[in-house]
Amino acid sequence: MIFGRRRSRNPLVLALARHALLVAILVVILYPLLWMVGASFRPSNEAFGTLSVLPGNLTTENYVEGWSFGNLNFSRFFLNSVVITLLAVVGNVVACSMAAYAFARLTFPFKKTMFALMLGTMLLPYHVTLVPQYVLFNELAWINTILPLVVPKFLATDAFFIFLMVQFIRTLPHELDDAARMDGCGHIGIFRRIVLPLSIPALGTTALFTFISTWNDFLGPLLYLVRPETWTVAQGLNGFLDATGESAYGPLFAMATLSLAPIVGFFLVAQRLLIEGIATSGLK
Amino acid sequence: MFTRSLAACALALGLLATGCAGGTSIGANPNEGATGTGEVAGNLRMSWWGSGPRNEVTNAVIDLFKAAHPGTTVEGESADFQAYFERLNVQASSGNMPCVTQMQGRQLNDYTTKNVLLDLQPMIDSGAIDVSDVPAEVLDTGRGLDGKLYMIPYGAAYDAMTVNRTLAEKAGVGLPPEGYDWDAFADWVTRAQPGLPEGVPAVNLGGSLPNNFISYAAGRGESLFADRQLGFSEDLLVEFWDMWERLRAAGVTTTAEATAEEPNQTEQRYVAQGRVLVDNLPGNALTPAQKTLDGTQPGQQLVTLPQPKGPAGPGNVLFTSGFSIPTNCDNIPTAAAFVDFWMNDDAGAKAFLSANGAVTNSRHLQQQLDDPNLPALKRAELDLYQRIVAQNPVSVVYPPGYHASFEGAFVRAYESVVFGGTSTRDAARAFITEVNAALATT
Repeated sequence: MIFGRRRSRNPLVLALARHALLVAILVVILYPLLWMVGASFRPSNEAFGTLSVLPGNLTTENYVEGWSFGNLNFSRFFLNSVVITLLAVVGNVVACSMAAYAFARLTFPFKKTMFALMLGTMLLPYHVTLVPQYVLFNELAWINTILPLVVPKFLATDAFFIFLMVQFIRTLPHELDDAARMDGCGHIGIFRRIVLPLSIPALGTTALFTFISTWNDFLGPLLYLVRPETWTVAQGLNGFLDATGESAYGPLFAMATLSLAPIVGFFLVAQRLLIEGIATSGLK
Repeated sequence: MFTRSLAACALALGLLATGCAGGTSIGANPNEGATGTGEVAGNLRMSWWGSGPRNEVTNAVIDLFKAAHPGTTVEGESADFQAYFERLNVQASSGNMPCVTQMQGRQLNDYTTKNVLLDLQPMIDSGAIDVSDVPAEVLDTGRGLDGKLYMIPYGAAYDAMTVNRTLAEKAGVGLPPEGYDWDAFADWVTRAQPGLPEGVPAVNLGGSLPNNFISYAAGRGESLFADRQLGFSEDLLVEFWDMWERLRAAGVTTTAEATAEEPNQTEQRYVAQGRVLVDNLPGNALTPAQKTLDGTQPGQQLVTLPQPKGPAGPGNVLFTSGFSIPTNCDNIPTAAAFVDFWMNDDAGAKAFLSANGAVTNSRHLQQQLDDPNLPALKRAELDLYQRIVAQNPVSVVYPPGYHASFEGAFVRAYESVVFGGTSTRDAARAFITEVNAALATT
């Protein structure tokens, strides 16, 4: 008993136990992902029926087959997704930060009412506005273009990100604004030279979440991008499946594996931005 | 200030929720009585559901149509079945449905009752669309509640008992006898169970599968629906669930938990993976199910049989897919020409090769069956379809809201029996009350 207690206090044993537990949890969390990657290297008809993450009959056929998609290939879908996602990120970062600055720093009539309205839009279920939006974009002849997916981002329609940045900007000392104003800055100058550089953590968070949600968005592109040459990666992946016929699981897993790469890459970049933003803000 | 903010907020929400759709008139029918005659030219939007292989053969037919009608272009829109209807609902609400819209009989009346589809009979009467080679009972699956023809069915799916023949032979019971009924089916799975490998139940627990009940009701001669209400008796549903409960108690079915966890995709169904002897699958799922079984249990072979019959006749019901033309279509002659081409062009039918249910044109069906190069599994699908059609299967007209109100409630009701201990009588009564209420308000 005493021996056991002494052993449990051994820092090395405790550390090993802790790490073993963490690795076990990590394996559980990563298992579905690892299984998918393993299945992408199995023949399509062997995708199911085994829990092993290791492919038995190793093949790269799924990647070759998956990359070809009718008369197109996945490079088109990746390009479409990249363009839409980057524009959405830029739009959200620029427009939401400007709207947030206005709510956080400016004084204008009905400011509180408008802020309440803005927050109120977060309560609306997406499906409530779906049909009116579709009608609007259809009347504008924007169907089959990326405009319905991109233009709203430049009009600060994501209330959550505005709210996020308002809360962040409110934490910045007003003295910094006053100092800039004494140096001759107007609101544009204060926004561009003071607020934006100090808001990098909030901007990074906005960019990261916008990137992930836009890259993974399926319903928006489904509605507005109906021609295959305009499809995004999410639509391309859906093109391998059908509940009423034959599905191509091998190519689906292969392309799903590839589609994760930009998200992981962007996350790594944005994560560094977040850390740098906090470290260089001078507000610790 | 707070009150003013709240009022402004409520006003804005109201405007957003109701306001912006003012410019589009849904339900107007400027093309009523259209005969589909006129110049076949210009652009045509066409939509369908399916994955890569079906997209390829659909595009092949589109190319043939464009070659036959120079001056026409066709914009294709495809998506997976579920996503397809999500998009179609928005398009229908916005008056922007494609001129040739693929439909399924089970969803058809969700749209006909909203007056977004054209009656196609005037186009048949004018000769713009020829349906003379489609059996009348198959054509009837495209009718709405008002009896008008809103969809030309081009592909017919049906339910089939998919049996692992290899396991059945190893169990020493072979296949169920020709013309078997539900009693013979229950007897067959009970006899098969002792000879099956450890952990392989004889039958997937089918009490929660609406398609099994639809088949059961057809065999008993009861109507699934009567206008916008359920048409069968409470006793029939109790009888059906009692049958499955007896099989479950006898230990010849999958567990309720395993059945509840089973994914919908054909390739993930237990029968496709050799984990159960028999289950109800769509007849045209034989090809993907066998391909999966080839990978998971090499050497095992699946066969499809008609659904068990009943005292009133065969238990098979057809589920058709076809084409509709919406009221918002601005190029009806070309849409009618496309539907006619799809239904009657021999080269087009050969290219599509019954990729979404068996081809409903009897001439094309025979052409495909006569082709010595027809893949064996496709031949089995078409053979069974031909046998089912020869027996004059029941035609079901599904009311609007069927998908939303019937299928989910059916699963929940049976799960209340197997998980909650509700009696089959109480579950049936609750199910009928719930669904009738939902259908009445749809």
